[in-house]
Amino acid sequence: MTVTGPAPARSPVATAPGEVLLAARHLVQEFPVRDRSGLRSAVVHAVSDVSFEVRAGETLGIVGETGSGKSTLARALFQAPRPKSGEVLLAGQDLVRLRGKALLGARRHLQMVFQDPFGSLDPRWRVSDLVEEPLACYRVGSKGERRRRVAEVLELVGLDPGVFGGRKPRQLSGGQAQRVAIARALALEPALVVCDEAVSSLDVLVQAQVLNLFEDLRERLGLSYLFIAHDLSLVKQVSDRVAVLYLGRLCEVGPAAAVYGRPAHPYTEGLLASIPPPDPDAGRSRTVVGVQGEPPSPIDPPSGCRFRTRCPRAEARCAAEPPELAAVDGDPDHQVACHFPLPAVPPPSTPVPSGP
Amino acid sequence: MAAGAPELAVPVAARERAVRRHRRVPLELVLPGGFLVVLTAACFLWPLVRSMPGPINGNFIPDLPALSPGHLFGTDPIGNDVFARILYGGRVSLEVGLGVSFLGTVVGGAIGAYAAFKGGIVQAVIMRVLDVFLAFPALVIALVVADNLGKNELDVIWAISFFSIPANARIARAATLRQINQPFMVAARLGGARDGWMLARHVAPNIGPQLLTFSLLGVPVVILIEAALDFLSLGVPPPNPSWGNMISTGYQYLSSDPALVIIPGAFLLVTVMCFNLVGDALRARWDLQ
Repeated sequence: MTVTGPAPARSPVATAPGEVLLAARHLVQEFPVRDRSGLRSAVVHAVSDVSFEVRAGETLGIVGETGSGKSTLARALFQAPRPKSGEVLLAGQDLVRLRGKALLGARRHLQMVFQDPFGSLDPRWRVSDLVEEPLACYRVGSKGERRRRVAEVLELVGLDPGVFGGRKPRQLSGGQAQRVAIARALALEPALVVCDEAVSSLDVLVQAQVLNLFEDLRERLGLSYLFIAHDLSLVKQVSDRVAVLYLGRLCEVGPAAAVYGRPAHPYTEGLLASIPPPDPDAGRSRTVVGVQGEPPSPIDPPSGCRFRTRCPRAEARCAAEPPELAAVDGDPDHQVACHFPLPAVPPPSTPVPSGP
Repeated sequence: MAAGAPELAVPVAARERAVRRHRRVPLELVLPGGFLVVLTAACFLWPLVRSMPGPINGNFIPDLPALSPGHLFGTDPIGNDVFARILYGGRVSLEVGLGVSFLGTVVGGAIGAYAAFKGGIVQAVIMRVLDVFLAFPALVIALVVADNLGKNELDVIWAISFFSIPANARIARAATLRQINQPFMVAARLGGARDGWMLARHVAPNIGPQLLTFSLLGVPVVILIEAALDFLSLGVPPPNPSWGNMISTGYQYLSSDPALVIIPGAFLLVTVMCFNLVGDALRARWDLQ
């Protein structure tokens, strides 16, 4: 892809494939809340001591229930709002310590695609202006060069700039609007795109189109993705590695095949069991019915392991000390935070009695 | 249409009629809006186009009744043409009404949006200071300020702005707070937008229509306060006409010549009503979107 104007040909933070592009270290995000009387205050522990890495060119999927802190985690990476403690290393540079212009400059390599495509586009702006906005804010090139770049990225996401450039967001379909949001995120040639439930609000057909677009862009531009979603099968489909988040804490992280094929954390196993089987009849005999109950409040999370209140394997130790991430079966890539991880070979499921 | 078989599809012609009816500017906007346009044109342009008697120092026969030849609304006890005084007086009402609303929208809107945008202590200080002004009845504030300023139109505009700026700032703040957490605001931020850009490019266009409607609804209030100031001889000083001081001076002749009060009073009433109707119609349209 050719680049117009003084914009760098590739993000200067671009690293060789496989090297660590973004690393979160011991990220903590907490919000003070007050009860209705405004007298007693409490703290929502939204993200607690989360560490992970995204390597150049890979897609890290983050899964978890609603309220598990996925979006808060994404926003904390952008320092909007700034995390309470921890480090966000983008190509070795700690964003948490950067202020003002330095932060603004570093953040251009990090872009976000939101869940609601219409909500994330100002309804009073035209498509071409929306895509140009990040370029204008970062004062990239001249007006003419920016216009050319806008046309370029619109074509990249499969929208004809002549047709769609002058439209307002309400004149677009959901899929088109999300493509505009993606074009906006791509305009500055970021190294990492954070997709916060970016396809969740789209219908299945459009979802597939947008996912294909993401994959296509990854190959052409060497992008890395942080793909946040609650849909497990979706995350499995797009991710190289997967991180499982529960109540603001990381349960398990590892290559997608390992996490899905051999879950070590009881919560991961429960989540996977809740995926409806593709063939309803084949799944009838399964005994695991996902995770029971509701997640506890992040205002007063359980001591020790946060999953212990819903965990079938919980013992006294789980309440006493929070488990640390440890390698599963000696594989340093696949890590689990559990005192009693599931055994390597799951017990053979009871043979399905063949019906008449 | 066959009898007994209900036609479910809306016929094309009927649908087009409905669409056209929907698109047409509604009567409740056209009628009062039209009156205001005509009134404004009459007040500001008619005296330029047609030769008219001046509003002061007239030497006509005093106390002519309305519909006298050459004097549509008659003459007042000192021999001025009432019609001319109504038109010149209307200028004062419209200038003050629109001037104060403009000041309120721009200055108040900027203050309110800025306060909401900054949040925290900045917002708290700004809004509490404005609350002090809003705590007093509008007329009382205007009275105090007008008493300390000179007695001319510009000072009246300033005096009433002391009430309209805080009121507009409150609305702008509330509207901005509603907009500020919209995902597109966050998206713009992450796209590298700074405060000034956000306020000018995202906040202003999105709260603009609401502010405009509010200040249009405020115009009649302002016109009435201006008239009250005139009536209390704190506004435009006689003999220069304004609807307010025409009512004030005509009040002395209420028993002998009630038209001197009724005519400016009627103009005031209809103008105020029209501004209200236009504001309401615009608000209804805005709420629909």
